[in-house]
Amino acid sequence: MDELTITPGSACQGCGAALAARLAFKALGPNTIRHGVPCCPDSATMTPRGGGGVFEGGGAALTGTWRALKAKGITDVQVVGFFGDGGTYDIGLQGISAAAERNENIWVITKDNEAYMNTGNQRSSSTPLYAMTSTTPVGSVIKGKQTGKKNIPMIFAAHHVPFVATASVGYPEDLIAKIEYGKTLTGFKMLIIQSPCPVGWRYDPAKTIEVARSAVQTGIWPLYEITDGEKFKLTYKPRELKPVTEYYKPQARFRHVTDEQLAGIQEDTTKNWEKLLKSDELGQLLI
Amino acid sequence: MTGNKAAATAVKLARVEVLSAFPVTPQTTITQYLSEFAANGEIKGEFVNAEGELSTQVIVQAASRAGARTFVCTSGPGQLYMHHPMHSTSSSRLPVVMATVHRGNKSMQPDHTDLMSQTWTGWIQLYCENNQEILDTHLMAYKIAEDKRVRLPVAIGYDGYVLSYTAEPVEVPSQKSVDDWLPPYEYQSILPKDYDPATGGRGFGGGGRDPQQGWITHHEALLNALPVIKEINEDFGKVFGRKYGNGLTETYKTEGAEAVMVAMGSLAGTARAAIDNLQADGKPIGLIKLKCYQPFAVEDFKEYGKKFKAIGMIDRNVCLGHGGAGYRLIRNSLYDMDERPKVLQFHAGLAGKEVRVGDFERVGEKILKAAKGDKVSQVEWV
Repeated sequence: MDELTITPGSACQGCGAALAARLAFKALGPNTIRHGVPCCPDSATMTPRGGGGVFEGGGAALTGTWRALKAKGITDVQVVGFFGDGGTYDIGLQGISAAAERNENIWVITKDNEAYMNTGNQRSSSTPLYAMTSTTPVGSVIKGKQTGKKNIPMIFAAHHVPFVATASVGYPEDLIAKIEYGKTLTGFKMLIIQSPCPVGWRYDPAKTIEVARSAVQTGIWPLYEITDGEKFKLTYKPRELKPVTEYYKPQARFRHVTDEQLAGIQEDTTKNWEKLLKSDELGQLLI
Repeated sequence: MTGNKAAATAVKLARVEVLSAFPVTPQTTITQYLSEFAANGEIKGEFVNAEGELSTQVIVQAASRAGARTFVCTSGPGQLYMHHPMHSTSSSRLPVVMATVHRGNKSMQPDHTDLMSQTWTGWIQLYCENNQEILDTHLMAYKIAEDKRVRLPVAIGYDGYVLSYTAEPVEVPSQKSVDDWLPPYEYQSILPKDYDPATGGRGFGGGGRDPQQGWITHHEALLNALPVIKEINEDFGKVFGRKYGNGLTETYKTEGAEAVMVAMGSLAGTARAAIDNLQADGKPIGLIKLKCYQPFAVEDFKEYGKKFKAIGMIDRNVCLGHGGAGYRLIRNSLYDMDERPKVLQFHAGLAGKEVRVGDFERVGEKILKAAKGDKVSQVEWV
């Protein structure tokens, strides 16, 4: 596999998103047109790079590129969006949903670092419950974000597209295998890669992989794939989940979270994991 | 055929490869005609029924960059919604062609404020008087937009309802004659490599040694388009037997006239009838139709400024707090002349307000009064 990103690029130390780009584009290969929207670390993915576009227009830009190639009879080029959670979960959601509904032959890959890191850690709809960001500060009255993380993979599964999967920079083999499988499919493919951000999440930059692995091992960020909106498979199944405190404690964005709040998060996480286990057992997504 | 069918027919004749639209009154039937053409295999291109105008603009922008001939169409609110990506389409110098079926921003009825409010996005703007002109202008627009001396997107404006939903006789050229005149579009970037998003650049405005360079180049490209628009209009006339003045402006019965009124879009048709009646009464007034609003034909108006003692601009728009868009441009064009004619401002037909031939006869008489040196009011809402 060829390296298709500029390493180290202009990313911060320990940048999970830069790693997500490196792994994803290695697996995608050179016959790829990339669309980016404003996000960090854009410079890490300078090659391969397609046309510019506007922040809110990710899904439409991919559509236009794919349809033009189709009109010209070119069908072996992969049209790939590499967006942040802002571009996928928020400002670009409408256009990506429409592209999914039309089942455009495109990839939407999201490096999810759970806030608008490019502009300095403002909350997004991907920011988890209670997390401190620059727009959900820990004040004397309100402490951190008061609502949970939007469940984007399940929203897109409900579009009944060929492929929706989660991945983590902590599990590169899983990430690459999902892209390689997706490459064999025609139609809309989505991969959401949890990409820890040491600057925004406030942990030691040397610990990015540890934090990423801990999200998966605690069940906070389960790894799974959904084909055709129905067939469900957990791709990482620990015998037992680790307690969520192992994920929360090293990150200063959660420093203010109380034990009672943590207990609530543990309860929700366990409940969700059990539901996913049941879906995995059936091979069928239960909603 | 209706104006919207004329537009859709031109798109079919131009063998457009990627089209995208979202229905909005009074553009809706273009989308429907194109859907029918696509469903019947009359259009071979990809037709994307998108979920909103912003996406339609981004879709054709990306498709144009990937080398496809493209078409997008909208009206009023949809035009405003796609404003943001209109900047990147023109900054990237992509030859997208767009129909704007006018719908004002204060009612469902037509005025030119939808397209004129996009002036700063730097598209070429051509306005149409009737349905034949709509069909012909679309064909010319592809040739203008794709010309390597221009390489800019073109917007074609025509009044909603008055033209979009009104049937008129339209002569449709044969597919072969259009194929012969309009060769397939071949993508070739004209941006310097460092600026070209297709080759890894960040587009104009992304930096470089002179951060203003993107604006300078874009502005010059519009000015340089003026002679090319004229040339393509002439050429169209030779091949298809119809042309529209010199491509930028058109004179009607101006011989021997002391004064002129200037009109755009379907109001030019109303103005023609008023001129006929005024001249039948021996009143020496003619008409100038302003077809190309952006870039502006400054040189044409300098010539008109020498010939006529008074010019009355009829604007179907108002740039709030400034005045009529055409009026300001005409006065600006004439400022450096030693002897300037009187220039009067009329606003008419905004928000679809009905305009009758008699209204323009009165306008004509007022302009003639000004030409004689009588004192008249500078600005009038008809």
